[in-house]
Amino acid sequence: MNLRMVAAIYAKEMLDMFRDRRALISMIVVPVIAMPGIFAVVHYFTENLGKKAALESSRIGISGRVSEPGVRDALKITGFELVPKPDARAAVENKSVAAALDEETAGDGSGRIIIFVDKTREASTIAGERISALLERLKLARVKTSLRGMGVSERVLDPFQVKSTNVAADKKMAGFILGSVLGYAVLLLMFTGGMYPAIDMTAGEKERHTLEPLLASPASREEIVLGKIFASTTACLLTAMLTIASLLAAIQRLGMGPNSEELEHLVSRAGPDAAAVALILLTLLPTALFAASVMIAVALFARGFKEAQSLLTPVIMAVVVPAVVGMLPGLELNVGLALIPVFNVSQLIKEIIIGEYSRIAFITAFASNVFYALVAFWISVRIFKTESVLFRS
Amino acid sequence: MIQVSDLTKTFRDKSRGLRAVVDHISFEVRDGEIFGLLGPNGAGKTTTLRMLATLLKATSGRAMVGGHEVTADPAAVRRMIGFLSGDMGLYHRLTPREVLKVFGRLNGLRDEFLRTRIDEVVEMLQMRDFADTKVDQLSTGMRQRAALARTLLHDPPVLILDEPTSGLDVPTARVIEEFILQARRSGKCILYSTHVMEEAEFLCDRIAVINQGRIRITGTMSELKAATGRERLREIFLDLLDDQPEKAAAP
Repeated sequence: MNLRMVAAIYAKEMLDMFRDRRALISMIVVPVIAMPGIFAVVHYFTENLGKKAALESSRIGISGRVSEPGVRDALKITGFELVPKPDARAAVENKSVAAALDEETAGDGSGRIIIFVDKTREASTIAGERISALLERLKLARVKTSLRGMGVSERVLDPFQVKSTNVAADKKMAGFILGSVLGYAVLLLMFTGGMYPAIDMTAGEKERHTLEPLLASPASREEIVLGKIFASTTACLLTAMLTIASLLAAIQRLGMGPNSEELEHLVSRAGPDAAAVALILLTLLPTALFAASVMIAVALFARGFKEAQSLLTPVIMAVVVPAVVGMLPGLELNVGLALIPVFNVSQLIKEIIIGEYSRIAFITAFASNVFYALVAFWISVRIFKTESVLFRS
Repeated sequence: MIQVSDLTKTFRDKSRGLRAVVDHISFEVRDGEIFGLLGPNGAGKTTTLRMLATLLKATSGRAMVGGHEVTADPAAVRRMIGFLSGDMGLYHRLTPREVLKVFGRLNGLRDEFLRTRIDEVVEMLQMRDFADTKVDQLSTGMRQRAALARTLLHDPPVLILDEPTSGLDVPTARVIEEFILQARRSGKCILYSTHVMEEAEFLCDRIAVINQGRIRITGTMSELKAATGRERLREIFLDLLDDQPEKAAAP
């Protein structure tokens, strides 16, 4: 293995890559512009839909049969707009109100208030929850009044108190949310960012007949494959770093969605520090090598660019699964799970940001990714030596 | 020096089964000689040249290129050759100068020497006007000159040229031919494949006519004429194509 040869191939691939518009879009434009863009759009919609739902949910229907004392007044005071609707169910069904109330007589002769909601509509669900909560408070107030009338202390209703405290530190809370989003986005974009360069330098070279002079040059197959894998790894790493940077910037600018002011505050105060970012990059290094080697090996099979794209689409989809599973809460990375590629990294990123990663899991994940990269490299070299694959047309 | 003896390449074909694309061919190309491999499309020219350039492994037989056996020591063979195919194989997003730099490095030329050598080749092939323009903006003729520059850059003793003038206009083809003649004068061993008869007649010291993977006849123009009793290469060629082995074997 002559490193000068590898360097020459690498230099050529990098030059070629930075002049390829498709590669630049997936490598740079998507992480820098599209990711924060998607983030902003989602943010905008959730915020506005939330406001709209809150507004809509205050308009409720009420049937003339509702006669339970205090109910109407309580609703009005809480800010509900009461619209008389003789048929409460129909009013909700035809969406003229968010929710509606009716009353019937229960078996024991007491009144039973019925709340009609349409759980497929957010505004209706919110209205229903608010009404239930209000009626519960009203009920409690009535019970307390009765107890007082009987000379019994209100304390009988509350024999003891319950208080729940979140022991997770601010940093941990922020890290949990940030790590879930970040791990997933970084892994997915890392693969898509390296995909075009990987295809271009394998199937693309076949299609354009540039592979022959390269194979007839003194460079060995191993040196050629290694140069290409390193270039593709650079593309993956570049995409990953840009994704991390742009996502952190977007979160700091836009926040993490409605009803999360507390979390935003946490993220800005306890976001990942320099050491965590460095550790994440260290984790991503063998992952990028793995991603690049796998994609080079798969794309080498293809006759041309389009075939390579269809071969790699399932690979990208396969990446999504472990990355999404990694986002689920409650999973902790043990040595066994640290052997699963992609999944181990999405977990590790989360745990690094939280600040509670296990060193053994880190080393296992690091080593297993290097191992998988070596296997993929070996397969790529095999393919490069198989004439029927290299020269098929 | 190229010595080929009983070289054979078989491919497995789904419809036709095992099939010899190159069938026990033998020939020799001396230093300072242009040897032409003349044959119709699909005769086995490209497969032969690819075996000699170590892109394909021979099924059987031997081939020595520049003193090294192609299957036993492909790396040594690749250091001896300049290989050019009709597709040219230039990187479209790179400029000719950048392509030359890549291949110069792959051939072990040190950066300082490489710079002066590239200038020299650019001058020699009259590429100064387009040496720094991306390949995808160049005409076919310019591209072929750039591809030839890449082949000659490291001054290899053996040149393997697969239809280097295909698709070129007459003036550009002429420039390429001139360079091949000049390379012969400097003592290089040149193996040249073509299906254009005038080109073979004009350039080659000796010609082998190949059809269906077999060499039908080898010799200088005058030897071919004497052996066949025909005056023009075109007639010799067509006679040999008619002389199918199936026909010859028929009672």
